[in-house]
Amino acid sequence: MNNSKQLRMTVYTSLFVAFIAIGAFIAIPVGPVPIVLQNMFVLLAAIILGPTWGLACVAIYLLIGLAGLPVFSGGGAGIGKLFGPTGGYLLGYLPAVFVTASISKGLGKKMSSDIIAMVIGSLIIYAAGVPWLKVVTSMTYEKALAVGMYPFLIGDILKIIAAAFIAKTLRPVIKL
Amino acid sequence: MANLTPFTYRQGQSILHLLDVRCKFFMICLVSMSMLSAHLFACFFYFLILLFFFKKSGLNFFATMTSIKYFILLLFFIFIARALTVKGDILFSFYGMTITEQGLTEGFVVAFKFFLVMLTGLVFSSTTQPSSVKSAVQWFLKPIPFVLEKRVAVMISLALGFMPIIASQAQKISDAQKARCGDLQSNPVKKIIHLVLPLLRKTFLSADSLVLAMESRCYSDDRIDPAFMSSGKEIYFLAGSVVLSLSLVCL
Amino acid sequence: MPKNIIDIKSICHTFSDGYVGIQNISVSISQGEFIILAGKNGSGKTTFLRHLNGLLLPDSGQIIVNGHDVSKHLIQTRKTVGMVFQDADTQIVGDTVFDEVAFGLENLKVKRQKINEKVSLILKDLNLFHLKNRSPFTLSGGEKRKLAIAGILVMNPELIMFDEPFSNLDHPGTIQVLSTIIDLNRSGHTIIIATHDVETIICEATRIIIMKDGRIKEDGNPLDIINRLESYGVREPCSSKLGLGIKPYG
Repeated sequence: MNNSKQLRMTVYTSLFVAFIAIGAFIAIPVGPVPIVLQNMFVLLAAIILGPTWGLACVAIYLLIGLAGLPVFSGGGAGIGKLFGPTGGYLLGYLPAVFVTASISKGLGKKMSSDIIAMVIGSLIIYAAGVPWLKVVTSMTYEKALAVGMYPFLIGDILKIIAAAFIAKTLRPVIKL
Repeated sequence: MANLTPFTYRQGQSILHLLDVRCKFFMICLVSMSMLSAHLFACFFYFLILLFFFKKSGLNFFATMTSIKYFILLLFFIFIARALTVKGDILFSFYGMTITEQGLTEGFVVAFKFFLVMLTGLVFSSTTQPSSVKSAVQWFLKPIPFVLEKRVAVMISLALGFMPIIASQAQKISDAQKARCGDLQSNPVKKIIHLVLPLLRKTFLSADSLVLAMESRCYSDDRIDPAFMSSGKEIYFLAGSVVLSLSLVCL
Repeated sequence: MPKNIIDIKSICHTFSDGYVGIQNISVSISQGEFIILAGKNGSGKTTFLRHLNGLLLPDSGQIIVNGHDVSKHLIQTRKTVGMVFQDADTQIVGDTVFDEVAFGLENLKVKRQKINEKVSLILKDLNLFHLKNRSPFTLSGGEKRKLAIAGILVMNPELIMFDEPFSNLDHPGTIQVLSTIIDLNRSGHTIIIATHDVETIICEATRIIIMKDGRIKEDGNPLDIINRLESYGVREPCSSKLGLGIKPYG
């Protein structure tokens, strides 16, 4: 039943594409900066789908947005958004999902290894997003970090803890 | 999706609605690329053309501007940042910051170009049905080796179908929790888990039944190609956009 | 004597986690029948149905559809035996009503022109044609269920199975779907309906099969079985309780 398993992964991956797109709109009000769940779904896609399907998932998400369907944050789409000031974060999802998935898979899908994998994944997203923001807006590095990274760090830690717990509960349910 | 964005498709019968989607894709790529090296004057010229098509396809320019106000704010920010950092002839200075003439022009050009590329994408998105976007993606992926373009197309359809389901489920879950005073929960990690876990669990179960439904309907990657709708005027639009991009680059 | 569409010879199925799905089921279904498959939740109805179009394969025993072994002719079987699932929302694959109905034919690589003709015909038959450019998710419950039926019908099945076709429908929706199913049966389709609520359809049925704990407990004419329904956890229709026999729904 190899074909059936392929179809299941196809559908699950599409489901995560939808979650990443919707994640840009789901915000949980905590403190001054609301927590937006998009990057958490990218990391969850990584540790649940694995490297190959995870990468396909993010690639299709970016492709849909690039092709003009409103799936980027704020209902944006198109080249203007993907290569705009915040485009670095979006493109950073690609290496982030692959590295996160590989580390989680390599370390044996435990909660602790998931957390390590997701921390590294988040850092990759910033490593792509912040310099991009700096170049496009020609801000200084201090300023780019202050608007493009520091305000989100606490939220990221909370999201990673939640994601590790969610992955642990979800894995036996979906039997991959 | 419940939240209508300016990029959501709107029904219509204008020439842009009827144009072959592949032709529209090609035009966007061409124009957006030539925009990079275009002169400010040429950009204004293109802006007028865009406004004309805005009107033609039944979009309201001012309503659209209000709905992308955060993007415009971001552009304004870029403009300020450039104006402050680019070196050149000083126009005026205050509190140790200087604004230069070169900075002002360069900031304006960069922000305006971003604005135009964004607007082009917006006109495309609001005049093109999601299913034809999917078909076009499939068509453009076809020559690329190792990409199963038919599977990608089905995955795009599925993802677009899942989005309204997820959005309405999320609403239901959060309502059900409010009914039990869930908003008193102050632990943010628990807040996330209480929303996301039931959402994932529920949608993965529906994904399982979708797999069965697709199998029942004989799903295979070896499917028939999509059909494209053409208006017959594609050739004029293609020629027009080539002329436009040439003049954008050369002017 | 009409021909047998399905012949099932003592099939068993146990899931990988040890849960017993169905045990030792043997049954024949002939063309034109209208069968209710009743039983409470967890009695094995859904597992049984999934064997009929090869979504599950039996651990032992054999299923013959139109003279062919299901395990060796999956695509052929799925064209002959259509299945309409319980939750209409989760079976939607297409972006528009038209695309949704065309999905099955696209998989079978039917020519585009043929697809267009066939889909239009089915949509007109089911009175959905005016909705063809709408997104399936914006339809009403009854319309969605009819759309799911159209998606199956377009592949020309001889037998159509329904898993709880009336769950979560309002009254007009139920009437809509019910009359669609009755029309299908009159035009020669064999119908199997799995449900734990038989009242809506019992008037139309020619046969009731009752399942419990993965086995077939009763199989026969609705009039003979109706009084024993409640001992299997299935509610007896009001009219029958009142001694009025079987009355049409609505």
